[in-house]
Amino acid sequence: MKAAKFDYERAVSLQQIQDALAGEPGGVRLMGGSQSLGPMLNLRLVRPERVLDVSAVPELQQVSTVNAQVRIGAAVTHAQIEDGLHEALRGHMMQKVAGRIAYRGVRNRGTLGGSLAHADPAADWVLTCVALGARVNVRGSGGTRSVPMADFMVAAYTTVLEAGEFIESVDVPAVSATARWGYYKFTRKVGEFADASCACYFDPATRTARVVIGAMDGAPRFLPELAAKVAAHGAAALAGDTIAAALQPILAQRDPAHQELFRTVVERSLQQALGLKG
Amino acid sequence: MAEISIQINGRKQSHQAEARTHLGDFIREKSRLTGTNLSCEHGVCGACTVLVDGRPVRSCITFAGACEGHEVRTVEGYDDDPIMLRLRSAFSEHHALQCGFCTPGMLATSRDIVLRLPEADEARVRIELSGNICRCTGYQGITAAILSVLQALREQPDDQVQALRAAVVQHVQQDWTQGGFVTFEADQEEVSTVESVAADAGSGEKGKGQAIQGGFDAGFPAAQVWAFMTDLPQVAACLPGAVIESQEGASVQGKIAIKFGPMSAAFKGHATLERDEAHRTAVLRGEGVDSLSQSRARGDVQYQVTAQGETGSRVSVELVYALQGPLAQFSRSGLVQDFVRRMIAEFGKNVNLRLEKPLAQGEQPAVAQFNPVRMFFSILWDRFKGFFRRS
Ligand SMILES: Cc1cc2nc3c(=O)[nH]c(=O)nc-3n(C[C@H](O)[C@H](O)[C@H](O)COP(=O)(O)OP(=O)(O)OC[C@H]3O[C@@H](n4cnc5c(N)ncnc54)[C@H](O)[C@@H]3O)c2cc1C
Ligand code: FES
Ligand code: FES
Repeated sequence: MKAAKFDYERAVSLQQIQDALAGEPGGVRLMGGSQSLGPMLNLRLVRPERVLDVSAVPELQQVSTVNAQVRIGAAVTHAQIEDGLHEALRGHMMQKVAGRIAYRGVRNRGTLGGSLAHADPAADWVLTCVALGARVNVRGSGGTRSVPMADFMVAAYTTVLEAGEFIESVDVPAVSATARWGYYKFTRKVGEFADASCACYFDPATRTARVVIGAMDGAPRFLPELAAKVAAHGAAALAGDTIAAALQPILAQRDPAHQELFRTVVERSLQQALGLKG
Repeated sequence: MAEISIQINGRKQSHQAEARTHLGDFIREKSRLTGTNLSCEHGVCGACTVLVDGRPVRSCITFAGACEGHEVRTVEGYDDDPIMLRLRSAFSEHHALQCGFCTPGMLATSRDIVLRLPEADEARVRIELSGNICRCTGYQGITAAILSVLQALREQPDDQVQALRAAVVQHVQQDWTQGGFVTFEADQEEVSTVESVAADAGSGEKGKGQAIQGGFDAGFPAAQVWAFMTDLPQVAACLPGAVIESQEGASVQGKIAIKFGPMSAAFKGHATLERDEAHRTAVLRGEGVDSLSQSRARGDVQYQVTAQGETGSRVSVELVYALQGPLAQFSRSGLVQDFVRRMIAEFGKNVNLRLEKPLAQGEQPAVAQFNPVRMFFSILWDRFKGFFRRS
């Protein structure tokens, strides 16, 4: 199928995006890499009057480091992160995860901001950014605000972005010598959205411990007790059926096969963080 | 229509085209370069892959307008490319093409593998190829062809290929095995901040169908909320997409509309409200048919208003529903649960708004402002992905 008619415009500045959204917040759709929007347009699941391509706005392509935080512009692509184009992200959890998103052809265009704004429950950036405790920097006509990633996604395909607002950048912790992390997703075929996924991030220096599962019905879900246990006891915390027990309240409604999938992704993600398996 | 100019295979191509034209159509229909094939047109099969600034990109989900100022290379334009020349003969040697439909896209991806991943082994090649589907299942030959080119280049490096590789900027993360894990006491506050999604608790199979529980707080005394919640037209006005057409006592005729892109459903039917004043509980029993899709829906919405202090109350809602017909296909239970939870939240918001600003005497309640449209798009989208995943 072909997209319904729309007008296309390429933004060159933040101000231009802001003005367009302020003018007609309902009629304008931002376009990052069009790797999610493109299919939706082609299937006519969305029919905007105007599309504003934000992928070429210089401010949205920048990466900088401030106070042990890496600020990543919304239009930075998955492939740029995968290739370690920006020094601050080399060796970062983000770099490893980037290479597992979709296929290289999609990664060459898909953007971090577009992925978070699309808020697919199974998306890799959504889960990774929650595990990292990222903050999403949002800009609108009323100025900017910074939203913790844990609060950013409200439900499937729904975020706290208000009409007229857009993602300017995302802050993630800089590479840390003490941090340990894991990421595991189960897919039927390489490059697909996850059927079950788990990201974990531990850093004794900041006393951070997060275990988060993705590919749920809505936003990723935390397993705080499991995270604290693993932080305190390391591999010993995994003895017995600790993981299954931690998942039980969240997955009670799912069939046993699904529960087993989630148990496995949590286990493998934690094993990576614990240095037990690559 | 506007003039779109793109550099394709070293030549500037300027054509009148609509903004909605994707790169694949621009290449085929405007520039008449029909070597590029289109199949799924939503990014899944890889058939349409071309190079944009030397990198593989899916031309069906990349819009032509977004390629102005960039350089596109298609299967017609590889004659002077040292990697492609090798791939071409390797493809024929290893029987890597059968009907040839996937070949232009496969070549674009293969070139990228040879360029970026000189050390790739078979497993890696297969992973990299996973975004390109071959209907003739020629993967064995394609993989062999790529491996043979990689091997030949390792044995006898080619200056031209070396030059191309040197121009690629990438800092591959060599090893990600991490050091030992040091145990520590986690900061509890940090880990338990999130409550953005309510627990799935209480959902599941119930005698008559699927049950979903939810609720919302109202910042008004229970008696006032109860009075409001048993006034059918008022309740309907807060219910996203609902319209009451006639009322007779505790019975109403009406419809609830849900529109989602190519599909739309409007359940027309009736509902009855049974109320229990003593316990401030009520059940709204409804039933309806969507004439377009011939889907039927039946549901009981049970709610209870309980006081929370002097000035607040809690409205607990339980929905038990059953859906039959085509639409039922789209009701993967988790997504419907999520949808209903959000609908309840939206309903709660509207109830609070309406209680804050009661209608003037004689004023008709407006239909609730809500976008089930957008919400269902997204849910449907997931369904679509589900279909393609299985195909
Ligand atoms: C075949 C295929 C497989 C895929 N597999 C995966 C996968 O395994 N894992 C995964 O995580 N993803 C996957 N994706 C999705 C992919 O990662 C997309 O790139 C990404 O989700 C969307 O990013 P985009 O830049 O292309 O955004 P677009 O498609 O351009 O936009 C998506 C949404 O975000 C909005 N938007 C864009 N930029 C902004 C901004 N700066 N501020 C506010 N709103 C904005 C748009 O209006 C739109 O609503 C897949 C996609 C395809 C086609
Ligand atoms: S036609 Fe473009 S990916 Fe299938
Ligand atoms: S050769 Fe026929 S589709 Fe691949």
